[in-house]
Amino acid sequence: MAGIWIFVEQRDGVIRKVSMELLSGGRGLASTLGEEVAAVLFGDGVGFLAEELSKYTDTVYVIDDPLYHHYSADSYGESLAKMVRECNPSILLGGSTFMGRDLFPWLACRLATGYAADCIDLTIGDDKGIIAKRPMYGGKVLADVTFSHVRPQMATVRPNVFTLKSPDGEKNGEIIRIEPKINPTAIRTRVERVEKTSTDRVDLTEADIVVAAGRGIKGPENFHIIEELAEVINATVGTTRAVVDNQWRDHDDQIGKSGKVISPKLYMAFGISGAIHHTMGIDTSNVIVAVDKNPNSLIFTYADYGIVGDLFQIVPALTAEFKKALSE
Amino acid sequence: MNILVLVKQVPDVEAIIRAQSDTKLDIENKYALNFFDEFAVEEALRIKEKLGDGKVTVATLGSRKAADALRRGIAMGADEAFQIEDPALEEVDGYTTARTLAKFIEGQDYDVILCGKQAIDDDSGAVGPALAQLLGIPCLTSIVELEIDGDKKEVIATREIEGGREIVTCPLPALFTAQKGLNEPRIPQVAGVMKAMKAQIAKIDLKALGLSPEDVKPKTKILKYYPPKKRPPVKMIEKEFPKNVEALVKLLREQEKVI
Ligand SMILES: Cc1cc2nc3c(=O)[nH]c(=O)nc-3n(C[C@H](O)[C@H](O)[C@H](O)COP(=O)(O)OP(=O)(O)OC[C@H]3O[C@@H](n4cnc5c(N)ncnc54)[C@H](O)[C@@H]3O)c2cc1C
Ligand SMILES: Nc1ncnc2c1ncn2[C@@H]1O[C@H](COP(=O)(O)O)[C@@H](O)[C@H]1O
Repeated sequence: MAGIWIFVEQRDGVIRKVSMELLSGGRGLASTLGEEVAAVLFGDGVGFLAEELSKYTDTVYVIDDPLYHHYSADSYGESLAKMVRECNPSILLGGSTFMGRDLFPWLACRLATGYAADCIDLTIGDDKGIIAKRPMYGGKVLADVTFSHVRPQMATVRPNVFTLKSPDGEKNGEIIRIEPKINPTAIRTRVERVEKTSTDRVDLTEADIVVAAGRGIKGPENFHIIEELAEVINATVGTTRAVVDNQWRDHDDQIGKSGKVISPKLYMAFGISGAIHHTMGIDTSNVIVAVDKNPNSLIFTYADYGIVGDLFQIVPALTAEFKKALSE
Repeated sequence: MNILVLVKQVPDVEAIIRAQSDTKLDIENKYALNFFDEFAVEEALRIKEKLGDGKVTVATLGSRKAADALRRGIAMGADEAFQIEDPALEEVDGYTTARTLAKFIEGQDYDVILCGKQAIDDDSGAVGPALAQLLGIPCLTSIVELEIDGDKKEVIATREIEGGREIVTCPLPALFTAQKGLNEPRIPQVAGVMKAMKAQIAKIDLKALGLSPEDVKPKTKILKYYPPKKRPPVKMIEKEFPKNVEALVKLLREQEKVI
């Protein structure tokens, strides 16, 4: 039984946005191929999520077991390998997240199949195989990758590649519970604890709007003006390596080559010079706005809209203006 | 403690890279040890220094200039270097690389294997987890802290995840991939650089590993390279403050419709 499988990632009972996007994208690919879509969900106490997913897919495979409370390739990978061998899906997709990029290469090797990481588009070629578009060399080139002679074709996909669509009429898919059949001692990595560093805001990688400040912000005590703007337009705050190296912000907030790659609908950069290492992380942003006091800043060769000015004047005014506009 | 670091020579972050044709890239001749592999080498050296004994080995799969990654590793302080080189390995993907490296490692006795989080050429981050799978050892990716209990052969590592950090324990032997933040890589001293220039690098081919060209056929194929979409030229908002701010908000709301 072929089909397109989406590995649905959840943490603490919350499904990642990218997984829901993939269910939409997967439905598109499935209709091109005339195949079915299945969701694969692992976790502990996630039965209610399986119900939710059944609206979007033909089948939901779920493992709901305390052993799957935390992710480990030893548990998630082994079980998924077994399930794939039994059902032979033609395509297996997951989000390009820390979990996805740990699990997928491990599993692809376990199944001796092909894998494309961090894709920014998936289409179907003439041979009915996937063509995976992915950035290489930090986005300096894009490549179309195929592996149509192997099954399953595996790929991790960036957030904001596929748009979230609600299903046309609920699918009412079948929920299939899978017994884990895993020996607890086979799980060798053990999560002792999870430390949350950020607020309740969505992660940079999944945010629709990102506002960032670089060294132009002068010090950690000034970041509140960026936070206030973020609050008003519901954005996530990011920054540059220069700021992280000065320990004004956590590495978790760093955008770029050695930080996170983001692909929001709107990215606003304040006091950021636009070094290539930084812009490598914002390449797939939709609209880019830059504010910098230096008219020759590189960031202006990159942005869609630019304002030359002092961020300490512009940011609070922008916050006030958005507040006004959004309350109208 | 025996520590192996897998290193790769890649085009420098600054190198100009263009698609010359559908299947060929034009890469400026500026290469360096992969950014993330530097953290891996540094961590290996620190483990050895902290425990007061052990050996740090660096290995790479690749021809010609690939050996420069090994020399950089030796210059930083690695004890030993191996280069896996074979005409059949000109075209590789993550799977092939992992398969070949696994054969090289099999039968040797490493407690800790370190990779970079990803190689900044293919940007895949596939080799580490794939290799751990083939070797049947636990794998922790994207670590920013590593603490080793040499007696109990156990580690506690911190991995970066979205919106936080995960603190994870696992037994050795195990494989780790290094994320920025793990440490500050040292700059090689002159003596180290001299040593690296003179160092003997052991070469190994496919046959010595008991592999045939058929075994290392890549699973994936690049159909086509092309340049990223050019961003349209910037529109500067030249109005005086605060008119410029008002204009921007209007543009973002009414024209771009992103807020
Ligand atoms: C291997 C490698 C990897 C790297 N990885 C990353 C990465 O992942 N992410 C990253 O960001 N960087 C990375 N870097 C660093 C990168 O090269 C730059 O040094 C860094 O991005 C610069 O940060 P910045 O723009 O905040 O600071 P600066 O370059 O100092 O720019 C500050 C800007 O603020 C402007 N400014 C000052 N005051 C004001 C004001 N009052 N109002 C408005 N504007 C003002 C200035 O005109 C200037 O343009 C990396 C570097 C290397 C070598
Ligand atoms: N050819 C290679 N030789 C040695 N190590 C490699 C090679 N390719 C990848 N690696 C290791 O695997 C990591 C991830 O690479 P990649 O999967 O290509 O992104 C790198 O940071 C290296 O540590």
